[in-house]
Amino acid sequence: MNGYLLPVLLIILAPFIGGLVYGFERIVKARMQRRIGPPLLQPFYDFLKLADKRQMIVHSAHAFLGIMHFVSLWFALALLLLGADLILVIFLHLLSSALLIMAGFSTRSIFSHLGANRTALSILAYEPVLIIIAVSLFINTGSFDAAAAFTSEEPLLFKMPLAFVALLLVLPIKLKKSPFDVAEAHQEITGGVELEFSGLFFEAVYTAKWLDYIFCYTLVFLFAGSNILLGIGLVAGTFLYLNALDNSTARVNYKQMLRFSLGIAFTLAFINLLINSLT
Amino acid sequence: MNLYLTGVILLPLLVSALLLILPPKISKGLVILSSLVLSALALLLYIQVDEPLRITLPHAVNEGIVVADILMLLYFGWVAIRRKSVLVGLLSVLQLGGLLYLLRTLPASEAPQLLVDKLSTFMLLLINVISGIIAVFSLRYIDEEDCSAFRKKFFLSVLFWFIAAMNMVVISDNLEFFFFFFELTTLASFLFIGFRKDEVSVKNALTALWMNQIGGLTILAAIFFIAYNGYGEITFTNLLAHSTAEGVLLPLALLSMAALIKGAQLPFSKWLLGAMVAPTPVSALLHSSTMVKIAPFIILRLSPAIKDTPVAMVLIGLTGFVFIASAISALSQDNFKRILAHSTIALLALMIMMGAVGSPVTIVASLVLVLFHGISKCMLFLNAGILERVFHLKQSSDMDKLGESGPFTALVISIGFMSLLLPPFGAFIGKWLSIETIGTLATDKKLLGALVMVAVAGGGAVLSLLYFKVMGLLIARSGEKDRVQFEKTGPYYAGTTYLLLGLVMAGIIGLPLLLMYYFGPVATTTLGQAVPVFQDGWNFFVGTMRIPMLPMLIAFILLPLTLVTAMFIRFRHADRAKEYMCGEKVNYSFSSFYFTIDRAVPYFSAAGILFFIALLLAALL
Amino acid sequence: MKLAPYRKKSPWILHFNAGGCNGCDIEILACLGPKYDIERFGMINTGNPKQSDVLLITGPVTKRTRERLVEIYAQMPEPKVVISCGACACTGGVFRGMYNCEGGVDQFIPVDVYVCGCGTRPEQIIDGVVQALGILEKKTRAMEESVRLKKEALKEGEQINRRHVAGEIKPALT
Repeated sequence: MNGYLLPVLLIILAPFIGGLVYGFERIVKARMQRRIGPPLLQPFYDFLKLADKRQMIVHSAHAFLGIMHFVSLWFALALLLLGADLILVIFLHLLSSALLIMAGFSTRSIFSHLGANRTALSILAYEPVLIIIAVSLFINTGSFDAAAAFTSEEPLLFKMPLAFVALLLVLPIKLKKSPFDVAEAHQEITGGVELEFSGLFFEAVYTAKWLDYIFCYTLVFLFAGSNILLGIGLVAGTFLYLNALDNSTARVNYKQMLRFSLGIAFTLAFINLLINSLT
Repeated sequence: MNLYLTGVILLPLLVSALLLILPPKISKGLVILSSLVLSALALLLYIQVDEPLRITLPHAVNEGIVVADILMLLYFGWVAIRRKSVLVGLLSVLQLGGLLYLLRTLPASEAPQLLVDKLSTFMLLLINVISGIIAVFSLRYIDEEDCSAFRKKFFLSVLFWFIAAMNMVVISDNLEFFFFFFELTTLASFLFIGFRKDEVSVKNALTALWMNQIGGLTILAAIFFIAYNGYGEITFTNLLAHSTAEGVLLPLALLSMAALIKGAQLPFSKWLLGAMVAPTPVSALLHSSTMVKIAPFIILRLSPAIKDTPVAMVLIGLTGFVFIASAISALSQDNFKRILAHSTIALLALMIMMGAVGSPVTIVASLVLVLFHGISKCMLFLNAGILERVFHLKQSSDMDKLGESGPFTALVISIGFMSLLLPPFGAFIGKWLSIETIGTLATDKKLLGALVMVAVAGGGAVLSLLYFKVMGLLIARSGEKDRVQFEKTGPYYAGTTYLLLGLVMAGIIGLPLLLMYYFGPVATTTLGQAVPVFQDGWNFFVGTMRIPMLPMLIAFILLPLTLVTAMFIRFRHADRAKEYMCGEKVNYSFSSFYFTIDRAVPYFSAAGILFFIALLLAALL
Repeated sequence: MKLAPYRKKSPWILHFNAGGCNGCDIEILACLGPKYDIERFGMINTGNPKQSDVLLITGPVTKRTRERLVEIYAQMPEPKVVISCGACACTGGVFRGMYNCEGGVDQFIPVDVYVCGCGTRPEQIIDGVVQALGILEKKTRAMEESVRLKKEALKEGEQINRRHVAGEIKPALT
């Protein structure tokens, strides 16, 4: 029973922790630019303000899919934290993004369509790497379960370092950070898929981003095995790396992104898989 | 001989002949009645047959088949002369020569020609139920076709003897019989694809003909090698009995090749893609229950012999490659039917792969995929026909108005896509079992297993993205038309759609039961060893594979229900706003904003050819 | 729970250039930079009317931008405030009376705060936004009430198209 307490607590608190991470990230990013930045609780102020806005939607199905994107992402995250089958988790995560893509295509908004297309392309860019990581996990531990990674004595990092590097390379795509933020591209396509959401319905999409932080950092944590200190170190390092990268790079276009992730990140993960499966 | 079996074979033939002479009114009744009777017979046959049934036909039948064979090949030759096709002519001559040579050298076969086991009755049930539904659908579809009254009768008539031929394919044990009916289905598809008689139709029909003729030729070659190696009778049973004999890999590889060609695997995918020019019920027929399903059938039949051989390894590699390649090719398609065709090829690859792996779980996965893919694809294609006839839509990018004009059709198509994709629909379970079991393959053949796993999971991701894009377009509407009102499409169209929807839904609800009492026994007879399928608490076990029920159940509530709810839900107290277009009010054409990956496609067929050569090499070495 | 106080804690800004010379726009962008750092107050430049609270307009309204301005204003959900930023946006400025110009913003949409200057100083802009936030907190209630009344007046099930309502609402404080 005790084994379940922490994951369940984490799952329930995931949006709050994600919000704090996001708030902290905004401060860190501002400090890197020599600004002061917003207060730590700023994401929650945004949250409460959005709840207060008048409800305005394009059409009902679109708004509903936004909410379900949040719910299914939370479910995928819950399964990951409970140590479920990683392939199932990745698939559900894909589906939750797919709901957002579907919402994007279901409007007749030009930016929504562009954003949905680009989101689909960025999924194509990072998904293969995640799948390879799941397969390498299977080859190394004999099980697809994320629990096998959490409890593994020897951190996976030492068994599949190249896969970890590949994960670091695709994480900016997933979290829509520069230089791989074509899917969101705030000044170019004004947010892409999330453009047509507003008020309470945008809140779902906005909060889903916080959940995505937890999802990604849990994936990073997976590489530390049962070594919690190493895990915290990895997560902190990844956090700093992501923000430094976001601050110091300009956006590339989708072709460059695909070429980079499939050419370099995918190859790295794949080489790692070959080495793992041959030894 | 078994009464039901006789019915299943002779009834379609009889109906086929009657349809040519009866007036249209009566033939409509006849088609509906015979479809019902055929389905009932197939079901009874499935219930009745427990132990494999071997049936010996009189010698006269053998000779009749030979005569029919020669006549058919002569017809192919005539087609070659009339259409000036060198390839078809060459292949016909080769086939005829090969056949005559075999007839002279082979001793007369004494073994039973027919074998009816659980696998056969499983296929029979699929073929007859689904084809029956398609026949009823095509009553209205072909009525609206722009052609002479005789051509309309001819279409329905061909449809019924096609069913008869398919029924025979899955119960033939004798390879000579198998060859004849295999070629007969080729002939039927040739007639169907060329039905509209325009230039493209004729060209694509010829492509389908020569490609499938190569399949026929490889079967003849397989027969030759069976005789040459001295295994005795040229039957599947005998071939399986010699599964460890020396040189057995070559005939197995040749038969697998025939399967790959029928299953439209790369580089032979062109015939299935070209088949789109035919009337839509033909596509439904070719894709769902007949023709391409011969491929997984052959592999499932042979799976006890080919598993763990180099042939199986090449097959797994090839199909893994085809799966991801056709998923990527599908991404660049805009024509709705072509998207469906590519996804058929991808899923067939998966079925063949599962058959080739040949462990208890994978056989179950393959069977699950065969059945549910059949139902879902049938539903999708019939609705593609409705789209074409009622809404005059062909391109998927034009579909963004369908949510307003035809929400019911949009909903059905969405459900069809979901049933190919999402938990807990059967096809998802099949796919999931596949990915997880390639993992178990990975313990001894780690490298191949890992590669294939990446291909399958990656291809699955690509396909799901594509489906979601189409589904997004399907629910598109504007704020003003936020209330859904279903359209009426008429009894033939609506009736068949409701029936198929019912089958899909029954598939979800009854999946655990189906796994236990339907797929389990079939897999057991196919494999020749017990396949344990049971439930334990919140987990469901197929062999050694665990399917967690709770996540599946929640995933079901979340995903498919979400999409269906999204069609109906209305937020009444929220205001509707226009889409943001920087304040502009211009209508954009969205189709100009899609991405294509056309450049990679030619390389796929080249790689496919390499795999075919590898298949032969694997068998020879 | 009272949500109104949080409105001013996270004002998201939509910046619209109705046809000005870009002088004020550069000053607005300067506000985002390290020196003035308006993100301290939780402000974000969104570029999307559907998620914004503050409409920051620069430049005189021209014949081309007039309809776009109204369309974008209509797509912002309540509560919202409008700041006209710079002399041109307030009155038409040096462009007033030109053949392609319509003049100040307040001819077309209700304006809450006028910020003067050609171009406006960043300090002035921040001051204007802070004033606007005070209005945002107070006035929204009145506006919501008026909208709610309208909603009740309409038949149930009938949809309110925001564009029809927008023109008829009188701002509570002007």
